[in-house]
Amino acid sequence: MVSSVWRFAHLALAVLSFSFLIVASVTGVILAIDTVNEKIPAYKNANFDELTLSQTLPKLREVYPEIIELSIDHNQFVTIEGFDDEGNDFKFIADPVSGEKKADPIVKSEFIQWITSLHRSFFLHETGRFIVGIVSFLLMLIAVSGIALVVKQQQGFRKFFAKINREFFEQYFHIAAGRLLLLPILIISITGTFLFLVRFDVIQKEEFVPTEIQNKEAKEIPLKDFPVFKEIYLKDVKKIGFPFADDPEEFFKIKLKDKELLVNQITGQIVSETKYPVTTVLETLSLDLHTGRTNSIWAILLAIASLNILFFIYSGFVITFKRKAVKILNKFKPDEAEYIILVGSEKGSTLHFADKILKQLIANGKTAYLTNLNDYNVFESAKQLIIFTSTYGSGDAPVNANQFEKLLEKFPQTNKVNFSVVGFGSIKYQDFCAFAYKVHQLLADKSWANPLFDVYTVNDKSANDFISWVKDWSKTNEIPLTLTPAVYKQKTPKLKSFKVLAKTNVSNDNQTFQITLKPNSRTAFQSGDLLAIYPDKNQTERFYSIAKIKNNIHLVVKLHENGLSSQFLHDLSVNGKLQAAVISNKSFHFPKKASKIIMIANGTGIAPFLGLIKENKSKIPTHLYAGFRNQNDTTSAYKTFLEEEIKQKKLTGFNFVFSREDQSEYVMNSIERDAELFAKTLENKGIIMICGSLNMQKDVEQVLDRICLEINNKPLNFYKENNQIKTDCY
Amino acid sequence: MKILTKIQAFTIFIFLFSLSAVAQNSKYKCMLQMTNYKGLEAYVVVSLIDAKGKYEKTLYVMGTDKQWYNGFKDWYKNQSKKNEKLSAVTGASVAAGDRSITTFTIDESKMSKGYKLRFETAVEDQKYFAADVEIPLTTEAITQKTDGKGYIRYVKLNKVQ
Repeated sequence: MVSSVWRFAHLALAVLSFSFLIVASVTGVILAIDTVNEKIPAYKNANFDELTLSQTLPKLREVYPEIIELSIDHNQFVTIEGFDDEGNDFKFIADPVSGEKKADPIVKSEFIQWITSLHRSFFLHETGRFIVGIVSFLLMLIAVSGIALVVKQQQGFRKFFAKINREFFEQYFHIAAGRLLLLPILIISITGTFLFLVRFDVIQKEEFVPTEIQNKEAKEIPLKDFPVFKEIYLKDVKKIGFPFADDPEEFFKIKLKDKELLVNQITGQIVSETKYPVTTVLETLSLDLHTGRTNSIWAILLAIASLNILFFIYSGFVITFKRKAVKILNKFKPDEAEYIILVGSEKGSTLHFADKILKQLIANGKTAYLTNLNDYNVFESAKQLIIFTSTYGSGDAPVNANQFEKLLEKFPQTNKVNFSVVGFGSIKYQDFCAFAYKVHQLLADKSWANPLFDVYTVNDKSANDFISWVKDWSKTNEIPLTLTPAVYKQKTPKLKSFKVLAKTNVSNDNQTFQITLKPNSRTAFQSGDLLAIYPDKNQTERFYSIAKIKNNIHLVVKLHENGLSSQFLHDLSVNGKLQAAVISNKSFHFPKKASKIIMIANGTGIAPFLGLIKENKSKIPTHLYAGFRNQNDTTSAYKTFLEEEIKQKKLTGFNFVFSREDQSEYVMNSIERDAELFAKTLENKGIIMICGSLNMQKDVEQVLDRICLEINNKPLNFYKENNQIKTDCY
Repeated sequence: MKILTKIQAFTIFIFLFSLSAVAQNSKYKCMLQMTNYKGLEAYVVVSLIDAKGKYEKTLYVMGTDKQWYNGFKDWYKNQSKKNEKLSAVTGASVAAGDRSITTFTIDESKMSKGYKLRFETAVEDQKYFAADVEIPLTTEAITQKTDGKGYIRYVKLNKVQ
């Protein structure tokens, strides 16, 4: 709960102030650049830091008898003002030793004045200054709540600068840049707030109280011998007022950074001293820090920080929208669904996995419903609960799951329900998947709930981790689910353009067609990778296994009457273009170190094997078993192709069976016939690759399991765990 | 040589004479000292006021940001009618405790005829002094130190010889 308060505060403050912050940071960047720019001209005396007043004032007064004022700005440029011999007033930047004119006083351009006014008050005078003040106070709160969020997420101050769990660009850089620029931003906002408080008298400035100094009688001494002038360095001075005339009532008025002195112009004695109150000193310091006017490097840093505030606004909102953008499309109502998938996720990444499972369940003819953990309720038809949840901070619930515990107590299910919990997180964090374990425990305590397994965990969105749950859940519930990791991968792939080189036609007895694609730009792919196709704009992708033949992508597609994507591919014309993404599927690449390879396919599942066989450069003994419905042009083309490969010694032999011909046979029958070969291959560390439908995979695995137990006395799982069974089925 | 020198001297004499005859302008150095009031920099407007109390000419404006000029209520009202060009007579605003110097040119023919110099002062969010300092244009009054009623401690004018 605490964390969501911080996050809510962080977001609410940002929403409240972002439009003003945009103006303040854009103008801030411009002003910082102007500040740096201002320091570039060389009006500063080379020995400026070592000059005392006695080295400068007497000479200046000699050159300009009617000098009235000397002031030193934050650039350490010395400006003098007075009347010349003709009685005209002058004011210019001068060298403090020779008095030589260097330049006219710096006047801020109209543009910079305009920007300054915009920065300070949005042209709204007093109201504007008040708004700017409040906004800088809000910025301070945003920075503080930001610190709290980083501490929370990194699990403690000590790990403040530890590695960040990267999810996407905006999220990563929001935190990374936030940590680095925290200090400048805090300083900008604190000084801004302080200036605002002083300006509006919330912090009262104390009165200046001069202390009179009683001096003994003294005689007249020349200006250059004034002891006080020998002690004061020019670099500590802000302003010096010269006495108007030889009137003893007129004094040298020397303003230093922390005090003001009045010096008798005849005797050189200090007549009075006014120490500036702390508020005034702090105000000057705040102004220096807020504007960077005294130090170019700091000014540049301020510019970067201001620029980054803009970036924070952008990335912060992107993060927020990504979190909100997670939309759930349900086909069934909660009360009619047997399978209820509940998701707890901060950023929607977990939802991606849930969505893949939901779609497959529905494709298998099951009634399934997907929702947030916070929408937990009584589900009247529920038989299975599937819970995917991440963990926030150190073991807390993610935002959309923080009510779950309460709701679970309130709504017991009416039926007996099996449940399974999968935790998502990163092992970089100490409390890896802590909330998932908690949910598991809470459910296990309910009499109506029966755990199918212990908690499964997925580290860093690993599709392979996730598959181990899919495998077990799919087996237990006898619902085939795809085990191809690439299908569960997170990243939205980058679309590339492909040219259609060739395409075969379908006929009445042959609904299968082949399509050859050539990438228009450099694209790396191998046989066994997947090509993701997006037939409509709602981003539901379809995958096809790739055969790499002569550096082109070769797909085998079965045309389904209502199949959106097979129709889409069929409608492509030769030389036409296609936008698609290649998704690496390492688990189905050609095995380089194998004593023997057996490939099993049904229907279009033969596609990747056509390419994989071609990649068999080291001529590993390889057998292919494939099952089809009918004998037709396509299957004869395969035969021709494979016979050529046998000549090249890339393939040892192949076996085709047909289910709808006179002698109806399935691929399982061939396997049973050659049981010895399969058992031996596995025993000798050979590899079996299966590609095709999930139902075929299920049947094949059953047969193989029986064979393995009979001949090798080991279950198929033994070889599976040994990575000897590779599958690409969906 | 001698003749030439005489001609030169005569020419210079004629030139100076005609100059003083056309406009008897005198230049004055003006020094202004602010009090240690609490607040931001003050804006100051110096005007020449005629015998009827009307604004005749703006001599100097301290403060460059025009958005604050409407703080000088009387002057601003007059200014919007007259639309004087102020850029040549505009300088920086003055902070509390600071000094400011400038020079004015005053037509000698206006002396001792009821004219006066008026110094108006305004500070953001604080009281506006419509006549912080007023100096009558007489030979005695003009060279005296004149104390202010508001943000100005005193003003002192010196004629440039």
